[in-house]
Amino acid sequence: MVSQQTYQSLHDAFLLQVKLKSDRLMNYFLAGFFLCGLMLALFYDTWLVAVGIGSLSLIAYYSTKLLLPDTDAYQYMVSGVFGLFMAQFIYQMHGLFEMHFIAFIGSAILITYQNWKLQIPLAALVIVHHASFGYLQYIGYDKVYFTQLDYMTLQTFIIHGILATIVFFICGLWAYQMKLLNERQIQQTYDMGRYQEEQLQRKALLRSNEDLKKSNKELDSFVYSVSHDLRAPLSSMLGVIGLCEMREMDPFMQKNVSLLKTSVRKLDGFIMDILDYSRNARLDMHLQEIHFDEMLTDIFGNLKFMCTDDQKKVDIRLAVRNGIPFYSDKSRLSIILNNLISNSIRYQNPEVADPFVEIQVEVSETGADILVRDNGIGIAEENQGKVFNMFYRVSNKSAGSGLGLYIVKEAVEKLDGVIRLDSETGKGTQFSIRLPNLAHSRFVKQQPQS
Amino acid sequence: MDYKYKNVMVVDDNQIDLYIAEMVMLTTRFAEKVICVGSAREALEYLRPLDESSDGLPTLIFLDINMPEMTGFDFLEEYRRLPDNIRKKCIIMMLTTSLDEQDRKQAEDNEFVKRFLNKPLDRDKLAQLM
Repeated sequence: MVSQQTYQSLHDAFLLQVKLKSDRLMNYFLAGFFLCGLMLALFYDTWLVAVGIGSLSLIAYYSTKLLLPDTDAYQYMVSGVFGLFMAQFIYQMHGLFEMHFIAFIGSAILITYQNWKLQIPLAALVIVHHASFGYLQYIGYDKVYFTQLDYMTLQTFIIHGILATIVFFICGLWAYQMKLLNERQIQQTYDMGRYQEEQLQRKALLRSNEDLKKSNKELDSFVYSVSHDLRAPLSSMLGVIGLCEMREMDPFMQKNVSLLKTSVRKLDGFIMDILDYSRNARLDMHLQEIHFDEMLTDIFGNLKFMCTDDQKKVDIRLAVRNGIPFYSDKSRLSIILNNLISNSIRYQNPEVADPFVEIQVEVSETGADILVRDNGIGIAEENQGKVFNMFYRVSNKSAGSGLGLYIVKEAVEKLDGVIRLDSETGKGTQFSIRLPNLAHSRFVKQQPQS
Repeated sequence: MDYKYKNVMVVDDNQIDLYIAEMVMLTTRFAEKVICVGSAREALEYLRPLDESSDGLPTLIFLDINMPEMTGFDFLEEYRRLPDNIRKKCIIMMLTTSLDEQDRKQAEDNEFVKRFLNKPLDRDKLAQLM
């Protein structure tokens, strides 16, 4: 597994490696220069200069490195020290021309740091040294040993200067280009690492997606069989209760059978709510054209027998205006309407003479406005914020599971819609729902024209 | 008072549901005779030797979906192979606890299935069929 690395950390790590490697090299070169000075002392007996200047240079370098370890000041110092060694060697060999090349060796060594600016102190020192010593010798001061000639002509001096400049420039250029090259390589390494990481993540995502799909499917068939196995005995009970009701019963038995029926229906309703909840939570959106008239007829057909014996028949008022095809998820929409309408029937106001539930649907290009309004018992204002909560029931008399409106809210959210509740105790309740028309959604299954 | 149908068959693995269907249909005089079979295989064995003039040929078949060994849909596959004259006389209704959309759709798409009913069978549901 590739660890998460930022580009900066990779870059810094690489630079540190270059620095450490180059620093190590400097130790060898500086020692070499110092020993070289001692060897050159043999020729003209310049021990004092060899030991004195040489060790002063080393002290300058190592003390800078020790005192300012976090800066690159010591690197500029080593550049200057190379210049000093050049001057020292020229002097030790009494102006031997080849000793001038020492500056070029220093210049080449400095490339290793991949910083063109390091050429500057060396170049500056060479210029100052050449200018001052050349001038001293020119005016006849013969103990500076700048050159073995009596003095350097201007022409020689200029050519000397141009060549040195070119060498410093080229070394600086290589240092700069090496740096660019390395940065490009770091970028590539970084990109590669990130690419691999992304690949791994994508693979992991795909795998977990697959797992999810599988467990979703398993859960689906589990819920299916559990709901069937739980509901089958309940419907048998309701069937037997129905058989009892077909015969004359004394009031005592009649009451008991009716109580039994209420309980069984409540339990059945609970199971169906849980089923609706799990369906809404997990099933993929399945968009198709909604025919509100058909759907509402189906729902009322299912709710026809819902009224308890002491309740009035609820008047149903439908107003569906849909000339435009409306697309949404049928099973979720059905869950929403079923719950709202059954609530209207269940919580009718016993005091009003004409309990009704009114359903208005208005479809447009962009969406559907659905209104479910009743003149039932209503919801007190302080409870209106809580009725959409899971398992919240307004009172002990509430016959439901406390899941109905929670599922409604969840389903509305799945359909990208909004729901609004207006209610007054004793007057009635109104739910307004706005659902987007998903006719052009990418989820719409292309259906063959029939 | 006449019976609505002479022979009605109920296919269900649940004995209580068979009892309920039989009682409701007899009490409401929906059927004169209710043939109760406990599995799809039994139902096929009953139907196979019959022809269109047989006395025992049911006019209506109430078929459960969730049954062990052979489901209601498996039965419909086998039913397809029965002779034409038998199938013409029989009307099949699904009678199930299933609320599954898939089940409902599959039943409605089947050419032999006329209705999809939810259990329990009661007076009102039978009244709707008449």
